[in-house]
Amino acid sequence: MLTILAAIMRSINALNKVVGKTFAWLSLAVVLVCFAVVVERYLFSTTRLWMQDLYVWLNGVMFTAVAGFALFREDHVRVDIFYRPASPTKKAIADLVGVCLFLFPFMFAIYYIGLPYVQRSWRLMENSANVGGMPGLYVLKTFILVFVALVALQGLAMAIRSILVLAKREDLVPKDFSYPTIAQATGKE
Amino acid sequence: MDYVLIGEILAGLMFFGVIGMLMLGFPVAFSLAGTSLIFGAIGYYFEVFDFSNLASLAGRYIGFMTNEVLVAVPLFVFMGVMLERSKIAEELLLTMGKLFGNVRGGLGISVILVGALLAASTGVVGATVVTMGLISLPAMLRAGYDPKLASGVICASGTLGQIIPPSTVLIFMADMLAGINSQVQMSKGNFAPTPVSVGDLFAGAFIPGMLLVLLYLGWMVFKAIFDPKSCPATPFSTEEKKGILKEVITAMVPPLLLIIAVLGSILGGIATPTEAASVGAVGATVLAALRWRLSLRVLREAAISTATITSMIFIILFGASVFSIVFRQMGGDNLVHEFLSGLPGGAMGAMIVVMLIMFVLGFILDTFEIIFIVIPITAPVLLMLGLDPIWLGVMVGVNLQTSFLTPPFGFSLFYLRSVAPNSISTGMIYKGVIPFVCLQILAIALLFIFPELATWLPKILY
Repeated sequence: MLTILAAIMRSINALNKVVGKTFAWLSLAVVLVCFAVVVERYLFSTTRLWMQDLYVWLNGVMFTAVAGFALFREDHVRVDIFYRPASPTKKAIADLVGVCLFLFPFMFAIYYIGLPYVQRSWRLMENSANVGGMPGLYVLKTFILVFVALVALQGLAMAIRSILVLAKREDLVPKDFSYPTIAQATGKE
Repeated sequence: MDYVLIGEILAGLMFFGVIGMLMLGFPVAFSLAGTSLIFGAIGYYFEVFDFSNLASLAGRYIGFMTNEVLVAVPLFVFMGVMLERSKIAEELLLTMGKLFGNVRGGLGISVILVGALLAASTGVVGATVVTMGLISLPAMLRAGYDPKLASGVICASGTLGQIIPPSTVLIFMADMLAGINSQVQMSKGNFAPTPVSVGDLFAGAFIPGMLLVLLYLGWMVFKAIFDPKSCPATPFSTEEKKGILKEVITAMVPPLLLIIAVLGSILGGIATPTEAASVGAVGATVLAALRWRLSLRVLREAAISTATITSMIFIILFGASVFSIVFRQMGGDNLVHEFLSGLPGGAMGAMIVVMLIMFVLGFILDTFEIIFIVIPITAPVLLMLGLDPIWLGVMVGVNLQTSFLTPPFGFSLFYLRSVAPNSISTGMIYKGVIPFVCLQILAIALLFIFPELATWLPKILY
């Protein structure tokens, strides 16, 4: 049973790693597209309106798609006065409580609100509100749901990690996802 | 009991409930939203909250995802991460250290200047403190600096990124204050209010930021003159003397020009912050390439760091939106309004109380959480009472920066602790930072007495 859970956890981690590392490149795309707009505007005094939407939207896609990966990497800030020095068992309990009480309800709320919102956008085949802007606003809006799915899955992986730690099967947690040892937690960053 | 009262009690409890729940240590973005939903459910039970109010969340989220102003955040983060990963920042610090190292207090001065210059790379408290702690602290200790002074100057300089433009904190603050200010002005009957832009807030923060740098520098000079043992000079070796000019030209001048160009084009009104930020990001990449440091690995690391940092910040914004909707719906904004406008001393009394609350919150929360929670619920009242939005933004920035420096809970101190050698005790770090906390308080007092320090430059520039 625990090994099945561990397999699910590893698959989720793998998924978010692939998605995260892929969509992270959009940050470079944001830089380049925005720079291209600047060059066009200041050097050639012309501008393409859809490009002005593009880099803004790319940022939106990037930070929603990468959120699950950031959660995997422990990039989401915690208030760690008590968390940091806590034992792995206590961390596991804190994470399990957090996922069930905070993360899942939050993701469910966004899903519940977001689904009709996104569906409506698809029905209307909504485009950018700016004249001459990008087509396909519905694709951008869909990323709200992508965000929900990826973060909820990563939350599930965190919950599984907590269960494994509490069941004394930390050996099933891969190194890149395990709790840092006390020495690492209190010592060098 | 009447519904208004129940709602307000719940809203008040929620504020403290959220802070309590955050102590659990679960990632802030989700704890914020989750706790707010729990209080929403309690409110639903008492019929003071309706979940249909949350429907506006979807529109808000798309608003964040299509916000042109906020794109400046990933762009500036990219610029900073690129300068750091390609070791340009490190070389800047080392070269400055060498250049100033042969005068008393020189290493400290170079730390202050680099902290101010690298402000771009550090919306997130910590990055600069860690970098400088790893590079400059050993150098200063080798040179025979008083460990207290060395750690104090690093902690303090590391927080300058909060307030000196182009700080990412200011970008978010400007975006929020702009919306709040136009609403407040509308309700006051001013239908054509002067808008508040990121450029305005950058301009507003510029002089106070420079003031802080000058105060820090002044303290270093004071120490160098009256306590020379605390910050001795390291004379050049003859080889170093020969190499220094070339090093200054290659390691110092290019990043300096880049930073000045980016900041100058924003303050000069030539480019919007987002546009300037993209030029800064490309410029940093070009500098890395010119030094043969632009490997695929560096590029990938920069992309991943930028994406995850940006995501982390925006997701906190997502979580904080749930908080502000639930809080407002239950009547929390009335509660805040009654509380703040009933204080003695009018607008100034209200301002002082908000500043104190933020200062204390700074002990447990990071900048973004604080401004995303506190600004939306307090700024409407403060602006309604007639305070200047730019002055408010700058005051909040300097205030939080001070909070991050104040023992025993300041974030900056923890970050330095994590990279400092064991020979430096935590007590030494605390003692070393106290003079800088005093300088911060002096700066806040000056800003309070002379708001023109913040409001003058934006007025003449735009």
